[in-house]
Amino acid sequence: MSKIKTCVSLYSLQDEYLNKRMNLEDIFKFLAENSVEGIEILPDQMLHNTPHPSEETLAEWDRLVNTYKLKPVCADVFLNTNLYKNRELTKRECVDLLIDEIKLANRLGIRLIRLVSMVPAFVIEPLISYCEKYDVTIALEIHAGLAFDVPKTQEFIDEMRRVNSPYVGLVIDTGIFCRRLPRVMANYCKHLGTNQKVIDYINDIFAKGSDPRKVYLENCGNFPEDLKKLVKNDADLFFAQFADGYENLPYSVLDEYMPYIKHFHFKLFEMTETGEEYSMNFKEILQYLHEKGYEGYVSTEYEGNRWVLPGHPMVEKEQVIAHQKLLHKCIKELESLEV
Amino acid sequence: MFDNNVFIENSCKNFELDGKVAGFELKTNITYYRSIPLSMVNDIRVQVDGEEVPRESILCSVDEIDWFTLDEMETVTTYKWEYGEPLIIRVQKEGGLTKGTHEVGLDVITRTAYIPVPLAGRKVRTVEIA
Repeated sequence: MSKIKTCVSLYSLQDEYLNKRMNLEDIFKFLAENSVEGIEILPDQMLHNTPHPSEETLAEWDRLVNTYKLKPVCADVFLNTNLYKNRELTKRECVDLLIDEIKLANRLGIRLIRLVSMVPAFVIEPLISYCEKYDVTIALEIHAGLAFDVPKTQEFIDEMRRVNSPYVGLVIDTGIFCRRLPRVMANYCKHLGTNQKVIDYINDIFAKGSDPRKVYLENCGNFPEDLKKLVKNDADLFFAQFADGYENLPYSVLDEYMPYIKHFHFKLFEMTETGEEYSMNFKEILQYLHEKGYEGYVSTEYEGNRWVLPGHPMVEKEQVIAHQKLLHKCIKELESLEV
Repeated sequence: MFDNNVFIENSCKNFELDGKVAGFELKTNITYYRSIPLSMVNDIRVQVDGEEVPRESILCSVDEIDWFTLDEMETVTTYKWEYGEPLIIRVQKEGGLTKGTHEVGLDVITRTAYIPVPLAGRKVRTVEIA
C-alpha cells in the first residue's frame, strides 16, 4: 500500500475565483464532487484580511471544511519583506508576521506551512517554539529558478540542518523536473511577439538534457552569444529570461533531502489529450517517491492559467481533474506492483 | 502575465462630488495572484488619449470610504487589496472626461514577496462617456 496521498491546491482555480465564476464554496463543492481528498490554500488569496480574517470568514471556513469533508493540508504563506518602499523589514518584523501566519494555520486546522522561496534562514530558530506550541511545521518551497543553486535557498537548508527540528523542512515544486519547456508558455510568448527561432533555441536546450538556467549560469549569468544574436525584441527577451524558471534536474537531486521533505507541489502546465503532463513525467516522479518511501501529500498545482491566450476559455477545472486522474492511476499502478 | 487582470471592463465613468463632476474613476483587479497591503502597490499610472494624468491627481481606495494618494499609500499597511476585489482609482479632474470616446490606459505595478522586480500589468480600453 502506497503512503502517498493527493490533494489539490486552490491556486489551481484562481481565475475561476478572481472572475467570480466560483466562490470558495463552489470550489469546495467541485473538488468534493470529484473525490478530491485534501486541499491546499493560499490564505492571502481566498481568505480576506489574512492573517487576521474576521470571525465570519473563519466560521465560513469551518462550515466548508465540515460540510465537504476535505482535509486542509497546507497553507501557502508569503513574507512581505518589501512591505515598505523605502526599506526592507527587520528580522523582528519578519518573525512577527510569520508568528501570525502560524497561529492562523493552526486556527484553520492546518499543520503545514509552505514558506515561499527566498524566506530568510534567520526566521527558523525564533519560530521553532511557536511551531511546537501550535503544532505547525514550516517548510521552504524549492521552486524552479529559485532552487538548490540559489544562495538564500542553501542558507535556509544549512540552517534547517543545524536546527534539526521535525517542525522545519522543505516543499518541492516539480517544476524542477521539466523535461520540456511548457508549450503553453511558449505559445503565449509567441502571441506577444517572441520569434520562433528563440523558442526553438530554448526547446533545443531541453532536448539536450539541460535547461536554460544551467546554460545561463555557465555563461556567468548571461545569454550565450548565439542566443544574444537571436534576441531581437522585448518579447524575445521576456521569453528567454522567463524560461530560466523551468529546470531539468535528475530526480536523484532529492536523495539527500528526502528526510526533510514535508510536501510536494505537483505543478502542471498542460495536461495533454493522452492524459499526461506536457513537461513533467509524473509516473516517473511517483515511482521515485514510492521507492524512497515518501509518506506525505502531493498537491496538484495548475499554473497553465497564466498562459491562456486572451479570448481563449479558461480550463482550470478540466486540467485539475485530468491531473488528479493521472496521479490516482499512477499510484494505483505502484500499489498493484507490490502484490 | 497578469495583463488580463488590469482595468475591469465597463468600470470607467465620471464621478460627482457635491453635485459636480469632480473627475473620473476606473476599477482594476490585482496584477498578482494574492492580496497585498496597499503599501505594496508600487505605482499606478493613467493615460487619457495618450496623455499621462498628473500623479498627484490620483486617489485609490479598496472600500470607497477611505481614499489615499499614491504617496500616502506607501505607508498604508492595514488596508488590503484583496485578490478578486477591485482597487478603485479616481482621477481628480474638474468636469471629468468629456462626452464621447476616449482611449484610457492603465498601468498597475505591484511589489511581490520574492520576485526581485515589481510586477507590471497594462491595459488600454476604449471608453464611451455618455
